[in-house]
Amino acid sequence: MYKLILNHTKYLKEKFSNFNTRLIVGITLTCIIVILGILAPFITWYPPLTVMQGPPYQPPSLQYLFGTDDLGRDIYVNTIYGIRTSLIVGVLSALIAMLIGILLGIIAGYYRGFLEDLLMRITDMAFIIPQFLLALIIVTTLGPNIYNIILAIGVTSWPGIARMTRATTLSVKQQTFIEAAKVLGLSDIKIISSELLPNSLPSVIPYITLQIGNNILVEAGLGFLGVSDPNVSSLGMLLNNAQQHILANAWWMSVFPGIFLSLMILGFNLLGDGLIEYMNPRLRRKAF
Amino acid sequence: MLKFIIQRLFLYIALFFTIIIITFLLVHLAPGDPTYILAGQVNDPEFIKAVRHRFGLDKPLYVQLLIYIENVLKGDLGYSYFRSESVSSLILSRIPATFLLILTAMFIVSLVGVFLGTIAAAKRGWIDAIISVLSLIGVSIPYFWLGLLMLIIFSLNLNLFPTGGMTSLTTTYQGIYYYLDILYHLFLPATTLAIFNIAYVTRVTRGNVLEVLTQDFIITARSKGLPERRVIFRHALRNALIPVVTFIGFNTGVLLVGAILTETIFSWPGMGLLLYNSLQLRDYPVMLGIFIYGALIIIIINLIVDILYNILDPRIRKE
Repeated sequence: MYKLILNHTKYLKEKFSNFNTRLIVGITLTCIIVILGILAPFITWYPPLTVMQGPPYQPPSLQYLFGTDDLGRDIYVNTIYGIRTSLIVGVLSALIAMLIGILLGIIAGYYRGFLEDLLMRITDMAFIIPQFLLALIIVTTLGPNIYNIILAIGVTSWPGIARMTRATTLSVKQQTFIEAAKVLGLSDIKIISSELLPNSLPSVIPYITLQIGNNILVEAGLGFLGVSDPNVSSLGMLLNNAQQHILANAWWMSVFPGIFLSLMILGFNLLGDGLIEYMNPRLRRKAF
Repeated sequence: MLKFIIQRLFLYIALFFTIIIITFLLVHLAPGDPTYILAGQVNDPEFIKAVRHRFGLDKPLYVQLLIYIENVLKGDLGYSYFRSESVSSLILSRIPATFLLILTAMFIVSLVGVFLGTIAAAKRGWIDAIISVLSLIGVSIPYFWLGLLMLIIFSLNLNLFPTGGMTSLTTTYQGIYYYLDILYHLFLPATTLAIFNIAYVTRVTRGNVLEVLTQDFIITARSKGLPERRVIFRHALRNALIPVVTFIGFNTGVLLVGAILTETIFSWPGMGLLLYNSLQLRDYPVMLGIFIYGALIIIIINLIVDILYNILDPRIRKE
């Protein structure tokens, strides 16, 4: 029996030898956070943002796990729903960024020449503009609701993905099957959609994961400056509220939302880093 | 080299115009009449008419754009709704405080980040593991939350540092004490801003030193019998430093955004606090002005870094 287990561990070790600590911790953290976000209505007792669930400024107790804020709102409930908001904004905005970035990157990498120069110069420029400031201006102009926040963060976070896609497209393009597809007389659109895209996508995915973490940080930063949807509970909004009532010395108002925000960003960073390492084992022991 | 710099210069000029056009389009795409965005919620028909004329809002769109560009290039970004001051002079008066904060943070970042990164690469083993884990946590903790915690711990509960501002309000200091007072107020915000970036610079330095350490001239240096400290700091670090310096330079944009959030927490009277106050008051011209000035600062710094990079690393010139 013992030998069997030993053999099995050995087999598992070999099978998952490409897995690294960062990837495992990252997957675990992200899964926990995502489950918390999905289960939000089932693990909380009130709808988010209801005032006067308890007396204001209650320290954490069994009844109010994370304490209450200046309006007697339960911080636990709002934090859990805030995680949900962060995830929705982070993932959807990263998807928008992915669509723009992959489209521009593939076109630049496939057609080369003038078009590539133009697209890459635009990407260079977009890299220099501080994403946070641009997103802030867009959201305040269009009005602070959740859709505008997703849109603003999405359309400002594509340059990294575009660069990455172009780089992978360039290397995939060198492969013989692309040449074969060309000889067969396939159209450009067909080559891009059924040859280039599926082969470039895997190397871009870790960077999209990192982008989700970054976008969650941007959303929280906007909320911290008071630019958030007033009808949706978000971690940035909770931290903004904590800062405005900092003199009440209610440490729980900032500590708990911040811990979950940090864990969430850490989770996506670890996942992204781990995936990069998993896909390029050469990098192991080099990057961390 | 000149060709490269001229190329970059063109890119930056194009970028600056793009930013002006973006802000212009945003004002016009926003729901509602742009007049009210530029003039604020006033119902004085005379004033509205004056604003419409001043920004040329009664003319076709492309003429409006040209007028807007002309105004921006002249430094005329309109007037604040709530302070009887022009946007430009308001922002320019806040720039020194922001620069003081950013430069102090950058100084701390360069020293600590490069040191930690080099140590991690040179020592490996558990020191490397600890530094690596700490820097990973460092890049994941939102700095505005960190600042909030520092404020709660060190200012509100331990009473070690002031809760905000740039100088003491109760006493006026003279001479050297005046600067020491500013430094005392600067400590927490600069540290907050630095920690996040130290983590980044540590990662970049570590990667670069590790890469240099595999090269032939390091083996030569070691086989000459040089002490390890000399190999690391004289030979490896020196050659690894150029990408690090560039990274720190290009990271100024990140620092500027970081400064905006940090200033908000510690009431540091710079551009960030101004932005926060204008956000709360919906002072639109000031917000747009800060965006344009912020972009301009970042563009200028990028240009300087480009030129320095060229001078420092002869290999780039050949390309």
